[in-house]
Amino acid sequence: MIDIFTLALTHGLMALAALILVTRGDLDDDEAAPDAAPRWKRRVDQPTDED
Amino acid sequence: MLDLALLAFVALLLMLGLKRPFLWVLTYIYIDIVMPQKIGWGIITSPSLKLSLVAFVAAFGGWLLLDAKRGGRFTARQGMIVVLLLWCLMTTFSAEFPDTAWEKWDWVWKALVFAAFLPLTLRTRLRIEAAVLFIVLAVGTIAINGGLKTVGGGGGYGALKLLVDDNAGIYEGSIISTAAIAIIPLALWLARHGTIFKPDWRVWTFTAALIFACLLIPVGTSARTGLVAAAVLAVLMLRSVKHRFLYAGLASLLMMVAVPFLPASFTERMGTISQHEGDQSASTRVAVWKWTIDYAKDHPLGGGFDAYRSNSFTYQTRVVTGEGNSTSVEYQTVTESGRAYHSSYFELLGEQGYFGLALWLVLQALGLWHMERLRWRFGKRAGPDGANAGRASWQWGLATALQQAHAVYLVGAVFVGIAYQPFLFMLIGLQCALWTYVKRTESKQTKAWARRAEALQPAE
Repeated sequence: MIDIFTLALTHGLMALAALILVTRGDLDDDEAAPDAAPRWKRRVDQPTDED
Repeated sequence: MLDLALLAFVALLLMLGLKRPFLWVLTYIYIDIVMPQKIGWGIITSPSLKLSLVAFVAAFGGWLLLDAKRGGRFTARQGMIVVLLLWCLMTTFSAEFPDTAWEKWDWVWKALVFAAFLPLTLRTRLRIEAAVLFIVLAVGTIAINGGLKTVGGGGGYGALKLLVDDNAGIYEGSIISTAAIAIIPLALWLARHGTIFKPDWRVWTFTAALIFACLLIPVGTSARTGLVAAAVLAVLMLRSVKHRFLYAGLASLLMMVAVPFLPASFTERMGTISQHEGDQSASTRVAVWKWTIDYAKDHPLGGGFDAYRSNSFTYQTRVVTGEGNSTSVEYQTVTESGRAYHSSYFELLGEQGYFGLALWLVLQALGLWHMERLRWRFGKRAGPDGANAGRASWQWGLATALQQAHAVYLVGAVFVGIAYQPFLFMLIGLQCALWTYVKRTESKQTKAWARRAEALQPAE
């Protein structure tokens, strides 16, 4: 029971961190905007450079 | 079911890596520390799956073929790791016990190669943070598990069951005690400077619980190494905390409150730290160390991995019986053979000779020194309002945390043979990465300032 709880907790956090990392622009380039939203979201909410 | 969940987790990381190949590096860190292939009991344990190798190839291939590699540099310390690797290979070829030596080589080379490779991939701040986060959560998996079981009363020397049944890798009592204490400063750094999980009450609650669990690991495993490591960390943190007196007061209060709650088995075992003559485990250590010094004289180039197997010695241990005036002291003669080094320094001396030991020591000392220099560099930097902005910077914090973690590990290493543990080499990799990162970004800044100053000067 304890085993399952621990594994679920830390693995859940690692999975969440991985999902956040995929969307972060500054993962591969320090100068990119850190909160670069995923492309689908950007199209709806934010004007892009091309606008 | 558990197997499927673990496999699904690894698959998720690998899949996300298709979008951001750096995640494969994180996958390898996770697999190397947690060893999910040993936790499960079905498909995941199958030797043909080779999870660790898959992640290693993915991480390396991803970097080689898909990464921009901008700003990555090969430092002198990485070069030293490569030399150490080659030296180990040479001693393995001439090892006294080739079978076991090649077995150990099998995991040591991976730890060393990964350490030399890791800094090349950690070229942005976020990547460095992500690697720290994965290391903390991976070690945390074992620490939280052990902490909960200790609270539930499942502790005892060699009795605490941690996810995995055998004493593989980091799961061995003394090693996990040292590693669990070593991640405390890193966890604190994440809670303060994290950008993946930004500091808020949830992050701080988790961090506090994690630190508590880490402190419980030496209690649960009754490993004396862990207690020594915790004491060293407590002293080191005096250097870096803002309110020293408050910290010292709180720490002593906490200790006074905690002692009555410690299990009797723990306090008894810790009591043996100061009276080592009566303790067989400590006596053998001293005997093995003496043996190793003599062995190195005959084998200055080292005897290869697991050279300790040829040792055998007889020594006397003191047994005190009776109480008060009727106390009698007896000396018992004990003969033992094939005793492990029980110290990383002697492990190096016996296995890799004087050169290997010297190289390893320089590698460690340079790490502590580099972090100290970063602390100086940022520590004296004042902010625009005159406040000490340097100590609040993430670089100062990380250099301090990495130095503390490293020092704790090196002290723990006096009593346990953990010289080639992947965890240690990940710390070294992180230090190299931070060192290179600061050098690169700071020189860029200086150049930018110089350019701006030039432009502002009135033309004559």
